[in-house]
Amino acid sequence: MTREHAADPDVPVLEMVRPMIGFPDHRRFALTRLDEAGALCALQSLDEPGLSFVVVPPDAFFEDYRPEVDDAVGADLGIESTGDLLTLVVLTLGESLAETTANLLAPVLVNHRTRRGGQVLLDDPDLPIRAPVAP
Amino acid sequence: MLVLSRRIGESIVIGDDVVVTVLEIRGDVVRVGVDAPREVQVRRQELLTEVAEANRGAASPAPDAVAGLSRLISGTRKRPDGGD
Repeated sequence: MTREHAADPDVPVLEMVRPMIGFPDHRRFALTRLDEAGALCALQSLDEPGLSFVVVPPDAFFEDYRPEVDDAVGADLGIESTGDLLTLVVLTLGESLAETTANLLAPVLVNHRTRRGGQVLLDDPDLPIRAPVAP
Repeated sequence: MLVLSRRIGESIVIGDDVVVTVLEIRGDVVRVGVDAPREVQVRRQELLTEVAEANRGAASPAPDAVAGLSRLISGTRKRPDGGD
Protein backbone atom coordinates (compact mmCIF):
# COMPACT_ATOMS: atom_id res chain seq x y z
CA MET A 1 0.00 0.00 0.00
CA THR A 2 3.02 2.28 -0.21
CA ARG A 3 5.25 3.76 -2.84
CA GLU A 4 8.06 1.39 -1.94
CA HIS A 5 5.96 -1.44 -3.30
CA ALA A 6 5.35 0.43 -6.49
CA ALA A 7 9.06 0.93 -7.00
CA ASP A 8 9.94 -2.69 -6.23
CA PRO A 9 11.04 -4.44 -9.43
CA ASP A 10 9.72 -7.76 -8.08
CA VAL A 11 6.18 -6.48 -7.76
CA PRO A 12 4.10 -7.39 -10.77
CA VAL A 13 2.88 -4.35 -12.63
CA LEU A 14 -0.47 -4.94 -14.28
CA GLU A 15 -1.63 -3.20 -17.39
CA MET A 16 -5.36 -2.75 -16.91
CA VAL A 17 -6.58 -3.21 -20.48
CA ARG A 18 -10.07 -2.90 -19.04
CA PRO A 19 -9.67 -0.24 -16.36
CA MET A 20 -11.46 -0.19 -13.04
CA ILE A 21 -14.97 0.99 -13.84
CA GLY A 22 -15.20 4.70 -13.07
CA PHE A 23 -11.41 5.08 -13.17
CA PRO A 24 -10.71 5.03 -16.90
CA ASP A 25 -7.42 6.94 -16.71
CA HIS A 26 -5.69 4.51 -14.35
CA ARG A 27 -4.05 1.83 -16.46
CA ARG A 28 -1.03 0.68 -14.47
CA PHE A 29 -1.37 -0.98 -11.10
CA ALA A 30 1.01 -2.85 -8.83
CA LEU A 31 -0.44 -6.02 -7.34
CA THR A 32 0.98 -6.59 -3.88
CA ARG A 33 0.23 -9.02 -1.07
CA LEU A 34 -1.02 -7.55 2.17
CA ASP A 35 -0.49 -10.63 4.30
CA GLU A 36 1.84 -13.60 4.28
CA ALA A 37 -0.84 -16.06 3.27
CA GLY A 38 -1.56 -14.01 0.16
CA ALA A 39 -5.23 -13.85 0.93
CA LEU A 40 -5.47 -10.10 0.80
CA CYS A 41 -3.89 -8.15 -2.01
CA ALA A 42 -3.72 -4.51 -2.93
CA LEU A 43 -4.07 -3.03 -6.36
CA GLN A 44 -2.05 0.14 -6.13
CA SER A 45 -2.30 2.70 -8.91
CA LEU A 46 1.06 3.70 -10.33
CA ASP A 47 -0.51 6.75 -11.96
CA GLU A 48 -1.87 8.10 -8.68
CA PRO A 49 -0.14 6.80 -5.54
CA GLY A 50 -3.14 7.63 -3.34
CA LEU A 51 -5.45 5.27 -5.21
CA SER A 52 -5.66 1.64 -4.21
CA PHE A 53 -8.13 -1.19 -3.97
CA VAL A 54 -8.16 -4.22 -1.71
CA VAL A 55 -8.74 -7.39 -3.71
CA VAL A 56 -8.93 -11.01 -2.72
CA PRO A 57 -9.22 -14.37 -4.45
CA PRO A 58 -12.90 -15.22 -4.00
CA ASP A 59 -12.58 -18.91 -3.14
CA ALA A 60 -11.95 -18.26 0.56
CA PHE A 61 -15.37 -16.61 0.85
CA PHE A 62 -17.45 -17.70 -2.13
CA GLU A 63 -16.69 -21.31 -2.91
CA ASP A 64 -19.22 -21.64 -5.72
CA TYR A 65 -18.27 -18.44 -7.48
CA ARG A 66 -17.09 -19.26 -10.99
CA PRO A 67 -17.35 -16.23 -13.24
CA GLU A 68 -17.67 -17.05 -16.91
CA VAL A 69 -15.19 -15.21 -19.07
CA ASP A 70 -16.33 -14.52 -22.59
CA ASP A 71 -14.06 -14.74 -25.60
CA ALA A 72 -13.66 -10.98 -25.93
CA VAL A 73 -12.30 -10.68 -22.39
CA GLY A 74 -10.06 -13.68 -22.91
CA ALA A 75 -8.65 -12.12 -26.05
CA ASP A 76 -8.10 -8.74 -24.37
CA LEU A 77 -6.15 -10.39 -21.57
CA GLY A 78 -4.34 -12.84 -23.85
CA ILE A 79 -5.76 -15.88 -22.05
CA GLU A 80 -4.55 -19.09 -23.68
CA SER A 81 -5.46 -21.56 -20.95
CA THR A 82 -7.45 -21.41 -17.75
CA GLY A 83 -4.16 -21.64 -15.87
CA ASP A 84 -3.33 -18.11 -17.01
CA LEU A 85 -6.28 -16.64 -15.20
CA LEU A 86 -6.31 -15.20 -11.71
CA THR A 87 -9.72 -14.06 -10.43
CA LEU A 88 -9.94 -11.39 -7.76
CA VAL A 89 -12.88 -9.57 -6.24
CA VAL A 90 -12.84 -5.99 -4.99
CA LEU A 91 -13.59 -5.57 -1.29
CA THR A 92 -15.33 -2.59 0.27
CA LEU A 93 -14.03 -2.51 3.82
CA GLY A 94 -16.50 -1.87 6.61
CA GLU A 95 -15.97 -1.30 10.29
CA SER A 96 -15.81 -5.05 10.77
CA LEU A 97 -15.72 -8.21 8.70
CA ALA A 98 -19.50 -8.33 9.00
CA GLU A 99 -19.76 -5.01 7.16
CA THR A 100 -17.18 -5.85 4.52
CA THR A 101 -18.54 -6.67 1.08
CA ALA A 102 -17.21 -8.07 -2.17
CA ASN A 103 -18.20 -7.12 -5.69
CA LEU A 104 -19.14 -10.36 -7.45
CA LEU A 105 -20.69 -8.66 -10.48
CA ALA A 106 -17.46 -7.02 -11.59
CA PRO A 107 -14.41 -9.13 -10.69
CA VAL A 108 -10.86 -8.15 -11.55
CA LEU A 109 -9.42 -10.74 -13.90
CA VAL A 110 -5.67 -10.99 -14.32
CA ASN A 111 -3.56 -12.96 -16.73
CA HIS A 112 -0.53 -13.56 -14.56
CA ARG A 113 1.50 -14.65 -17.59
CA THR A 114 0.96 -11.52 -19.69
CA ARG A 115 0.27 -9.31 -16.65
CA ARG A 116 -2.74 -7.87 -18.34
CA GLY A 117 -5.83 -7.34 -16.26
CA GLY A 118 -9.21 -5.76 -16.22
CA GLN A 119 -12.37 -5.26 -14.27
CA VAL A 120 -15.07 -7.11 -16.12
CA LEU A 121 -18.79 -6.47 -15.80
CA LEU A 122 -20.29 -9.94 -15.98
CA ASP A 123 -23.44 -10.63 -17.94
CA ASP A 124 -25.39 -11.88 -14.95
CA PRO A 125 -27.52 -9.22 -13.25
CA ASP A 126 -28.25 -11.63 -10.37
CA LEU A 127 -24.68 -11.37 -9.10
CA PRO A 128 -24.43 -8.89 -6.21
CA ILE A 129 -22.21 -5.82 -6.23
CA ARG A 130 -22.09 -5.86 -2.44
CA ALA A 131 -22.00 -9.45 -1.22
CA PRO A 132 -21.20 -9.76 2.51
CA VAL A 133 -17.99 -11.73 2.97
CA ALA A 134 -18.95 -12.99 6.42
CA PRO A 135 -21.21 -16.07 6.32
CA MET B 1 -29.82 13.56 -28.55
CA LEU B 2 -30.89 12.03 -31.82
CA VAL B 3 -34.36 10.53 -31.48
CA LEU B 4 -35.58 7.91 -33.95
CA SER B 5 -38.80 5.88 -34.11
CA ARG B 6 -38.41 2.21 -34.98
CA ARG B 7 -40.83 -0.68 -35.38
CA ILE B 8 -40.24 -4.26 -34.30
CA GLY B 9 -37.63 -5.79 -36.56
CA GLU B 10 -36.20 -2.45 -37.62
CA SER B 11 -32.65 -1.44 -36.80
CA ILE B 12 -30.35 1.50 -36.46
CA VAL B 13 -26.71 1.44 -37.45
CA ILE B 14 -24.13 3.23 -35.29
CA GLY B 15 -20.83 3.92 -37.00
CA ASP B 16 -19.86 1.29 -39.55
CA ASP B 17 -20.50 -1.89 -37.67
CA VAL B 18 -22.79 -1.55 -34.68
CA VAL B 19 -26.39 -2.55 -35.40
CA VAL B 20 -29.14 -2.20 -32.80
CA THR B 21 -32.40 -3.99 -33.62
CA VAL B 22 -35.73 -3.74 -31.83
CA LEU B 23 -36.77 -7.34 -31.23
CA GLU B 24 -39.84 -7.14 -29.04
CA ILE B 25 -41.99 -4.63 -27.21
CA ARG B 26 -44.01 -5.81 -24.25
CA GLY B 27 -45.55 -3.20 -22.00
CA ASP B 28 -42.80 -0.86 -20.91
CA VAL B 29 -40.00 -3.28 -21.79
CA VAL B 30 -38.21 -3.12 -25.11
CA ARG B 31 -35.92 -5.98 -26.05
CA VAL B 32 -33.09 -4.93 -28.30
CA GLY B 33 -30.41 -6.94 -30.03
CA VAL B 34 -26.95 -5.49 -30.50
CA ASP B 35 -24.54 -6.67 -33.16
CA ALA B 36 -21.14 -5.16 -32.52
CA PRO B 37 -17.51 -6.09 -33.13
CA ARG B 38 -15.77 -7.97 -30.36
CA GLU B 39 -13.78 -4.95 -29.21
CA VAL B 40 -16.92 -2.88 -28.61
CA GLN B 41 -18.18 -3.50 -25.09
CA VAL B 42 -21.95 -3.41 -24.71
CA ARG B 43 -23.05 -2.97 -21.11
CA ARG B 44 -26.14 -1.93 -19.18
CA GLN B 45 -25.69 1.67 -18.17
CA GLU B 46 -27.21 1.41 -14.68
CA LEU B 47 -24.88 -1.47 -13.81
CA LEU B 48 -21.86 0.54 -14.91
CA THR B 49 -23.04 3.41 -12.73
CA GLU B 50 -23.56 1.13 -9.74
CA VAL B 51 -20.17 -0.53 -10.11
CA ALA B 52 -18.46 2.86 -10.49
CA GLU B 53 -20.11 3.93 -7.22
CA ALA B 54 -19.07 0.71 -5.51
CA ASN B 55 -15.50 1.22 -6.76
CA ARG B 56 -15.43 4.75 -5.41
CA GLY B 57 -16.60 3.40 -2.04
CA ALA B 58 -13.97 0.66 -2.13
CA ALA B 59 -11.08 2.86 -3.24
CA SER B 60 -8.20 3.70 -0.93
CA PRO B 61 -9.38 2.20 2.36
CA ALA B 62 -7.80 3.45 5.58
CA PRO B 63 -4.58 1.57 6.48
CA ASP B 64 -6.07 0.72 9.89
CA ALA B 65 -9.06 -0.95 8.24
CA VAL B 66 -6.79 -2.95 5.93
CA ALA B 67 -4.60 -4.10 8.82
CA GLY B 68 -7.64 -5.08 10.85
CA LEU B 69 -9.15 -7.06 8.01
CA SER B 70 -5.86 -8.79 7.37
CA ARG B 71 -5.70 -9.93 11.00
CA LEU B 72 -9.30 -11.14 10.92
CA ILE B 73 -8.82 -13.10 7.73
CA SER B 74 -5.62 -14.80 8.78
CA GLY B 75 -7.51 -15.82 11.93
CA THR B 76 -10.52 -17.22 10.11
CA ARG B 77 -8.62 -18.95 7.31
CA LYS B 78 -6.99 -21.56 9.51
CA ARG B 79 -8.78 -24.74 8.43
CA PRO B 80 -8.02 -28.41 9.04
CA ASP B 81 -7.25 -28.94 5.34
CA GLY B 82 -5.06 -25.84 5.09
CA GLY B 83 -1.89 -27.67 4.26
CA ASP B 84 0.12 -24.68 3.13
